[in-house]
Amino acid sequence: MNKVKELISTFDCEYVQDYKKIWIKAKLNSKDDLLHVAKALKEEGLKSISTVSPTDFIADGIMEMNYFFEDLKNKRNLWLKVDLERDEEKCVIESITPLFASASWHEREAYSMFGVRFLNHPDLRDIIKSEDFKDKYPFRKDFDWLEHEKDTLGNMQQIVNSFKKEQGENEVDLDTDSSETILNWGPTHPASGPIRLRVHCDGEEIISVDPDIGYVWRALEHLVTQKDFIGSIVAVERLCFMDNINSMVGYAMAVEEIAGVEITPFAAWMRTLLGEVARVSSHFMGLGMFFNNMGLHTLAMWNMDTREFFLDFLESYSGARIATAAVEPGGVRYGLDMAMFDELQKALDKFDATIGEVEAVFVNNPTMKLRADDVGVLSEEEAYKFGLSGIVARASGVKTDIRIDEPYAAYGELDLEYITQKTGSAKDRFIMIFQDLKQSIDIIKQSKAHIEKSVEAGEMNPTKDHMVKVPKKLPKGEAISRVEWARGEVLMHLVTEEKAKTPYRLKLRAPSFNHTMMLDYLLKGQTLSDIPLIFGSLYICQGDLDR
Amino acid sequence: MSNIIFSSFVFPGLLYVLVWTVGLFWFFRKFMAALHKRVGPSFNGKGGSYQTLFDLSKLLTKESITPEGVNPYLFSIMPLLAVIFAMLPSAFIPWSDGVVVVDSTYGLLALVVLIGIEPFLLFLTGFGSNNKYSFLGGIRILTQSISMETSFLLASLSPAILFSTMNLTTIVEQSSWFSFLVLIPGFVIYFIALLGLLEQPPFNIPDAEQEIVYGFYTEYSGTNYFMLQLAMFAEFMAVFAGAATLFLGAYKGVFFDSYFFFFMKMMLIAIVMMTMRAATPRITLNHMLNFSWKYMVPLALVNIAWVLLAKSLWFMGV
Repeated sequence: MNKVKELISTFDCEYVQDYKKIWIKAKLNSKDDLLHVAKALKEEGLKSISTVSPTDFIADGIMEMNYFFEDLKNKRNLWLKVDLERDEEKCVIESITPLFASASWHEREAYSMFGVRFLNHPDLRDIIKSEDFKDKYPFRKDFDWLEHEKDTLGNMQQIVNSFKKEQGENEVDLDTDSSETILNWGPTHPASGPIRLRVHCDGEEIISVDPDIGYVWRALEHLVTQKDFIGSIVAVERLCFMDNINSMVGYAMAVEEIAGVEITPFAAWMRTLLGEVARVSSHFMGLGMFFNNMGLHTLAMWNMDTREFFLDFLESYSGARIATAAVEPGGVRYGLDMAMFDELQKALDKFDATIGEVEAVFVNNPTMKLRADDVGVLSEEEAYKFGLSGIVARASGVKTDIRIDEPYAAYGELDLEYITQKTGSAKDRFIMIFQDLKQSIDIIKQSKAHIEKSVEAGEMNPTKDHMVKVPKKLPKGEAISRVEWARGEVLMHLVTEEKAKTPYRLKLRAPSFNHTMMLDYLLKGQTLSDIPLIFGSLYICQGDLDR
Repeated sequence: MSNIIFSSFVFPGLLYVLVWTVGLFWFFRKFMAALHKRVGPSFNGKGGSYQTLFDLSKLLTKESITPEGVNPYLFSIMPLLAVIFAMLPSAFIPWSDGVVVVDSTYGLLALVVLIGIEPFLLFLTGFGSNNKYSFLGGIRILTQSISMETSFLLASLSPAILFSTMNLTTIVEQSSWFSFLVLIPGFVIYFIALLGLLEQPPFNIPDAEQEIVYGFYTEYSGTNYFMLQLAMFAEFMAVFAGAATLFLGAYKGVFFDSYFFFFMKMMLIAIVMMTMRAATPRITLNHMLNFSWKYMVPLALVNIAWVLLAKSLWFMGV
């Protein structure tokens, strides 16, 4: 930590300060230093960049850039800020993509949404936003959404025209004597979900893959600024329906930090418990999806069978099975009726009764091993380089798990260990999800036992302790929070104004964005059959990909 | 004359194939549902037994869309040809004692050739669809059928060598428990090659929906799609019946000989095929080619040698 601090202090900084346990927050005075800092950080060992996030301070005429550098190995992180002029002409900064490959799409996103231009970026095209936003920057505070939406038909026509233009031209440059072609893998494809991969292939062999994302872009980051702090949770949980609890936990933590509120131990344990239930329900889908993509639907069906029991518990607690809105700033939304734990016990019993056959038939499946053992291999070094997190990073042997690195909720009091695999192949990622699932069940059992014990001893009151008051108006401030989501690291950067009733800016950094970036890298030279396999093994959800 | 009409339209002709398709489709759905821990169709009729009938009649009444830029005649005639060629083999099958439409000396040859033509017709459906996915599916089915048919042919030759005849009726008459044991390796190879020919998991590569949408089926809808489905189930019947006739003694039963045993043997193969479908992911084209040419074909040749040896030891008289 100190080394990073010393290193950053050698540059011209407005301030350098400690932030949380494993973060250092610093602000550069000049944007010209950025590249030198980035280079020095990379040499020091902060090899990953989590995200690049501009904040538009329209009143001051400033576009503040936030860079989140991470050292996945030694758990030293740096939050680096630098101011740019907000004016579209002058909103320019050096790209760090040549140094940090993982910044590529994040810089493209900043370019598309805020109009920040990055010099020397190898591929600065629009991403996520649809073609009717061409040359418009929707997340700038002075962007008029109503004005834009007035001409709905015109916008649609623009999208159609540009698609037709692309379809008309995309094969013009190809060699007519070869069997090269451009395939659209998605967005209406049995295995793709709402994403389109432009697959340039020669017969069955893939030459390159260019993902086209944004089909479920809901502009969540903009949406939350239109709602109050509690209303925002329904936008945040829609990051992805499969694991909604943990994203709400992350958001609630950021709000609590700005408000200066401590939650009760009961609420912390409930967040842990609910979060793991959501993780289990997500992992069940992920495991099933992996085999679905190889044309075998049995595992998904079996998993659905068990998953229903876990959703039953969520339903008895919150009234909803999928979008629960069960966590809000200040604690958890509802008190707990201890009888609800019977529902959870049923789910755990069902899990224990059925997991053995899943392991026997699918985890040890020889045909799966034949196909997935040596494709999509990501080494440990590549995981650092491309800023991978969660399941994907751990499958490559990287010891990263935010539940342990930077404990939140009640994870600090739990008995937890890093689970990793060795080679980082598609098979390892599948097995990693399975091991993680088992670990989550273990955490659920631990937290359930703890809550039951504490309630019995009278230390917790499950009907009253669930909430502490959070003021409706928040002071000016900013905070970041990180949670280990089902798919990896979710980083939220929340900015508020004085007497704020709504978030001024909320950056949602979601893991699928980085993982989708890997598709081209992993699929080059493979065959068409490997697309669904590798796609499934990266555990991508389009919800958090597009936001 | 009435005989010919009966055999072409009732048994073992059109009506029989339709009933078989509806019945087997329903059975597949229910059996698969049980393996998936689902219920399967359950609303229409007892155990959802009308569901397939409704589905198929719905397909018949839907619009058949012919995509732009294809030859409409080629596009629409291929499904029809596929059905006809898939139904033809049943004329050569001895369904029960003395019940065979064409009792030919070359029955086995007809069976193998007619089954072998089918993938080529499906390739043409993909070729004629003017769609990248269909075309890829067509190429894949051609690749697969060329590799799998070699071992399929070699495996189906083993009973012919053993009994020195290509007449299916004679093969059935001469089969016994002992000959069944001798032919077990051949049967296993036939069964695996059958999975490849019928595009069943783990060899469902040509219509791998996660990779190439629906392969050669992609552009087909309505009546044409119904025809292709019918062709697929008729093909199931031909290949299952071929296996039952060549290796399992067709209609020969435990206490009495009857069509009932023939049907049971076909269902047995169907059940094994379905169970594999529920437990095995798809392999890739490369794996399939490797498997076929490196293992299946050599093993099929070894099997021929084994059958020749067995013949010289125990079957010289026949």
